Amino acid sequence: MDMKNAENANYTQTDHEVNITEIKGMEILPSNMAIKKYEWTREYFKGKPKEGYFIWIKEQIDFPVTTCMSIASKSVSQNLQNLIVIEKDLKIKLRGTCNSLKKDLCSRHTASGKIILKKNAVLEYNHIHTWGNEDVVNTDYEFILEKGSKLDYNYKVSSTPGNMKLNTKITCLENSTANLTIIGNCENSDVKIRDDIILKGKNSSGILKLRLVGKENTKILSHSRITTEAECKGHLDCQGLPIHKTSEMILIPELICKDNQSQITHEASIGKISEEELNYLKSRGLNEAEAIELIVNGFLEN
Amino acid sequence: MVLEIKDLKVKSGEKEILKGINLKINPGETHALLGPNASGKSTLVQVIAGNPKYKVTWGNILFNGTDITKLPTEERIKLGLAITWQNPPTIKGVKLSKLLDKISKQGINTEELGANPGILDRSVNLNFSGGEKKISELIQIISLNPKLVIFDEIDSGLDIKKLEKVSKIIKKELIDKNVSVLVITHSGEILNFLKPKIINVMVDGKIICEEKDYTRVLKTIKEYGYEKCRKCELHADGP
Repeated sequence: MDMKNAENANYTQTDHEVNITEIKGMEILPSNMAIKKYEWTREYFKGKPKEGYFIWIKEQIDFPVTTCMSIASKSVSQNLQNLIVIEKDLKIKLRGTCNSLKKDLCSRHTASGKIILKKNAVLEYNHIHTWGNEDVVNTDYEFILEKGSKLDYNYKVSSTPGNMKLNTKITCLENSTANLTIIGNCENSDVKIRDDIILKGKNSSGILKLRLVGKENTKILSHSRITTEAECKGHLDCQGLPIHKTSEMILIPELICKDNQSQITHEASIGKISEEELNYLKSRGLNEAEAIELIVNGFLEN
Repeated sequence: MVLEIKDLKVKSGEKEILKGINLKINPGETHALLGPNASGKSTLVQVIAGNPKYKVTWGNILFNGTDITKLPTEERIKLGLAITWQNPPTIKGVKLSKLLDKISKQGINTEELGANPGILDRSVNLNFSGGEKKISELIQIISLNPKLVIFDEIDSGLDIKKLEKVSKIIKKELIDKNVSVLVITHSGEILNFLKPKIINVMVDGKIICEEKDYTRVLKTIKEYGYEKCRKCELHADGP
């Protein structure tokens, strides 16, 4: 979602200015108001939030709920605390966009959040970040999946900031399922990713998929971990594609088993684009840049 | 003349693979190039396509009168050259439909070309059967609207029914539309469907035979193998 349709978003924040469009079946408030209105939210916020959103989805909504957090002015520093609660048995789609509207704003976007999926709730959450090279981004999201719930969380950073820390933690209770996909198209950036799936409940399952492309002047450190604490299944799939000689990439896949009835598997690889693939695409009329773009996009979408 | 190769010598590393190739193809003509394994056929295809792995040490390649010997691959393709790969690589994550969107110069009906509808939504060549790879190659090169197509062992690994199917597509979509074709083949079975105007035989990096009657050459190779061709060159008595 870009700014053209940001006005259609349910929660829009540009710099520090907030615009809310409520729809039937959900409540949206700035976090600093939510903590006053609902005492129970204090359990999820760290202290008093300054800004950010509270989204409480109480009834079925059949179109995507959208949020759009943008930075439009120079040197703006956003410090967000977000809380999303999906009530039981609901099937919800959520789209979130965080971006800076120009490449040279030297902005800072700090966001932490909790997303609670109540019993048997289903959430498909597509989250897209687009930043300028001078921006600093630090996010820390935690998902709690109650019994029987299901999460598909697709996080994509299509243009990385100069410095980025991305933490994601998902805790799965009994019979819940988490699919976490992190896609990073990284350039001129220092990126640190930490993602955790903790399979706490019996028959829970989690798949963590990471696709990272390292372009010019990129340093990527990614630590992905699945922990099993019950009879459950997890799979970790990390793949990196450094396409420039100045790209450095460290992928650390980690599996921790605390229940001998659980099963965790992983695959991890870092590899460059093959000459044969490039020559093949050139033999279809694409030049080198076009061929690399096609391969990179295919890798990120795979 | 669509393609003219003049005294082409090519090395891979220190080894000379092509040792003075001469070949001419006129517009709308279908030619065949036969040869045993490791005779240099696939190298010739890759060199015509401009694969930088090979070094041209002597000679020229002209395409419609333009010297393309030093042109990068994609420039050659833009001029109207197309090649199919004998063993095309897998490009994971790139759907065939996406690739066709990028390269197509003309609309094509992939189902009419014998493709299963699902093939377009799969990564290029990933888990494709032998037949699907050939159809995928055909779809791609036809979409390029080429002037000359070089088929590198398009017949390898195909049973007779699939070979007939592939041959019919080549005939209908290319030969009947006056596109020049060079068919590189090891077994030669496909020539019974495509009926080339000229057949060439390549042995040890050289074209040692150019003949109009392809049936005569095929018959000789079938009966005596390529050894007879070597002998033929030495004694200049024709197969």
